[in-house]
Amino acid sequence: MIRHRNAVALAFAAVLGLTGGEASAQTPWYDLPAVKALYEKAKEEKEVVIWAPVQNEVDWIQPALSKRFPGITVKGTGDLQAATKLIAEARANRHSVDVWQNSLGGMIEVQKRGLFAKVDWQPYGVTPGNILFDGEGIAVHNFVYSALYSKAFVKDADVPKSWDDLLDPKWRGKMVAQDFLFPRLMGFLAVKWGEERTEKWGRAMINDQKLLITNAPRESFLKTGERILSIGDSISQSYQYTESGVPTGYTIFNIVPAVQFMVSVMKNAPHPNAARLLAIWQSSDESMEAREKATYGLSVRPGSKSHVAAEVEKAKATVVLEDLATMDQRADFYKKFSSIIRGQ
Amino acid sequence: MSQITLPTGAVARARIKKANSAEKRADIGWLGWSIIALGSAAALFFILGPLIMLLTTAFRGPQDLLPFEDGAQWTLANLAAVYLDKSLYTNVLPNTLIFTFGSVTVTFVIAFILAWLVERTDLPMRNGVYTIILFPLLVPGIVLSITWIFLLAPNTGWINVIIRSLFRLGETGPLNIFSMGGMILAQGIGLVPFVFLLLSSALRSMNPSLEEASNTAGASPFTTIRKVTLPVLLPGLLAPLILATLITLEQFETPLVIGFPARINVFSTRIFFELNPDTDLPAYGRAAAVALPFLICGIALLMVYNHLIRRAESFVTVTGKGFRPMRFPLGRWRIPAIAFVAVYALFGAVLPGFVLIWASLFGYALPTFDTLSTISFAGYTDLFNNPKFWLAARNTFIVAGASAIIVTSIGVILAWTILRTQLAMRWVLDFISFLSLGIPAVIAGLASMLLYLSLPIGIYGTVLMLVLAYSYRMAVSTRLTRAALMQVHAELEEASSVAGAQWFTTIRRVVLPLLTPSLVASFILLFIIGFREFTIPTILQSPDNSVLSVMMWQAFQAGKTTQAAAVGTMIVLFVIPIIFGLRRLVLARDGRD
Repeated sequence: MIRHRNAVALAFAAVLGLTGGEASAQTPWYDLPAVKALYEKAKEEKEVVIWAPVQNEVDWIQPALSKRFPGITVKGTGDLQAATKLIAEARANRHSVDVWQNSLGGMIEVQKRGLFAKVDWQPYGVTPGNILFDGEGIAVHNFVYSALYSKAFVKDADVPKSWDDLLDPKWRGKMVAQDFLFPRLMGFLAVKWGEERTEKWGRAMINDQKLLITNAPRESFLKTGERILSIGDSISQSYQYTESGVPTGYTIFNIVPAVQFMVSVMKNAPHPNAARLLAIWQSSDESMEAREKATYGLSVRPGSKSHVAAEVEKAKATVVLEDLATMDQRADFYKKFSSIIRGQ
Repeated sequence: MSQITLPTGAVARARIKKANSAEKRADIGWLGWSIIALGSAAALFFILGPLIMLLTTAFRGPQDLLPFEDGAQWTLANLAAVYLDKSLYTNVLPNTLIFTFGSVTVTFVIAFILAWLVERTDLPMRNGVYTIILFPLLVPGIVLSITWIFLLAPNTGWINVIIRSLFRLGETGPLNIFSMGGMILAQGIGLVPFVFLLLSSALRSMNPSLEEASNTAGASPFTTIRKVTLPVLLPGLLAPLILATLITLEQFETPLVIGFPARINVFSTRIFFELNPDTDLPAYGRAAAVALPFLICGIALLMVYNHLIRRAESFVTVTGKGFRPMRFPLGRWRIPAIAFVAVYALFGAVLPGFVLIWASLFGYALPTFDTLSTISFAGYTDLFNNPKFWLAARNTFIVAGASAIIVTSIGVILAWTILRTQLAMRWVLDFISFLSLGIPAVIAGLASMLLYLSLPIGIYGTVLMLVLAYSYRMAVSTRLTRAALMQVHAELEEASSVAGAQWFTTIRRVVLPLLTPSLVASFILLFIIGFREFTIPTILQSPDNSVLSVMMWQAFQAGKTTQAAAVGTMIVLFVIPIIFGLRRLVLARDGRD
């Protein structure tokens, strides 16, 4: 029931997003009276604690935030299993986290327990289309699924053009994927392709193409040439791999699945004003730009100014954004495809 | 009412036994009993929380609620989901048995040979060899696994490339690390230092007079090992055998990185996937249900152990008579022995060490002369300029060191209590301490989180919480100390007591010095485990209590390979001098080379 109601709210908010952003475009968001007042209160709180799945996603915030809002110390922690801790802390009535950032799907269980503060973000200039869970969260960046390739071993002319191209025998024994990401990729594809076709594709990838499913870093396989395509990694990771000494390219196929990351302010945040300020700032263009520079995290949501969003538009590809409307359906797909992939 | 009449002799024997027992208790004194009580209470406090959490979590559901949440109920659904699954019996269980048997065998054969060479022969550079053997224990498991992939990956593995070029074979293979054999090899070699440490302390504590007698009687070194060393060392062999079996059952890095690509599922990977589910919250209930056989296996192995060593006096080799060490001259076996150590060192230490250091300086770049010009120290400079690194380093030393001291201290108290007192409930301590090994770290972390969240003592989120949370692993210390104590005849303590020494003086001046090799081994092992541990500190982390292992894991997850490898290298550099120093300390104390 909650999920269904949220899906309607999300759809409504998305429609509003087409017009709402335009309305407040004249006054920069940081000059809005509500934001200025919030900053004054946030400065009194001195610090803000943010949790995200990995440390890398919070380390960049302090220097970037300080340029706009000096005087607030950001304490960031990366933890993939933060949901358990947030629920346990709330139960014990001890609260250490102000803002939590995760994928939309990863936040559902905490949201269902009513642990997020519901905020009216409109006075702060947040684009209505980016407001999720009826004010309990704000959309930030995306994890954009792709097929990455080693530039050392794959010529530009040979780069596959579609997900189906990966079934070409020439890629047999040359592809790798992560056990967590690949079933999710299939879940997104199944939304477009249907379950039967996707399952057939997935089985062909594993049985015929000898796709190597691993938990180890894929860049090591791309570097040595043990495998030359990494299926289901994100576009951001292609930049990270390149930075680590593995020149890696990415593909934009006709279907572009994208996980939606968001930030939420905790209901009993120790620093509620600083938490709100941080959440608002994270949804701004300047924050998105800083994030992309620091972590290669980018957005392909409608209205995004990232270069990948432009490339997707140019390729006339269809973005399949993670949303609440297909949440349950994808969850069922994940479970089914995971057991195929894990051989259980 | 009928009256039972005992024979006069039996009554007299019972009186004498009771009197002796009472006398022994009196000897211990209030200080001794206080220490025993304190140690026992601490052991129960550290272990019972995680143990109760494991047992209750397995029976709490439904899956979309955490086991401690309102609305969670008692259920058999977790057990049903795990144990009514056909694939458990057709796939997971057979794989687990093969993997465990195979890797423990590999581990034991290599570790025993190495321990014997280092402790019982005139192998050159033994102190350096000792440190090299322990190296794999310092290297993160994921690095060890990646090293094996570099060597034996079917397409580009270095060894495969060499074999193919030598024998002009096809484009792939012939060896494949992603197989059961690969898993066994990687896990077997990875666990060698752990078993080596336990075996070498047992060999070190052993009086070699029996071996000398065998040698004098004309037996060959191998006959002496088979007929004298192995039988006498039985407790010292069984303990690491049992511990290695349980650790292999629980360890998930090798099965996940090397076994999973070949679709080889074992119990530990099943737990991993339950804790990292496709959707929703971690399935703690099912993970606990999967882990229950570890406990059952632990209980069974403990019973076997207690049965085999029931005649404790058979294993006493350290008596009132002093002993001088004897080393077998290797003679013509010297070169093969050195070659054996070198091959192990190559695969267990040199190559993983090279991969770690190389990755910290060159990322994933291939090792060629051209690459050398791209060397970058950015991974290290970033670390050294990051205050979080120094905080994490300080925290890691505190947590690993303090928890190792606590567990080793409690371990020796428990071992002495179990072996030297007649306390009726001492078997409970033995049992509980041993079972700590069957508790997955994630369950221990969860238990600590809930415990310290609810206790109003203000340590939640602090370094002290980590110290206490790490301190549940009593099995290693207790087993190790107990095996060593079994080799020490009680007559030494009795002699001290007759000479007028108080209990505490006897323990301090007689028992502890004789147990030093085992205590040092226990400390080293726990210290290294503490340095490597990342599951518990991940669950309990806060901005103030971060440790190096978590920092390395986070850098790794974020794709910062050089920084992750730099942290790994720093961990090795921090720990090696401590191992080396402690080893020197033991040698200096013994006056041995």
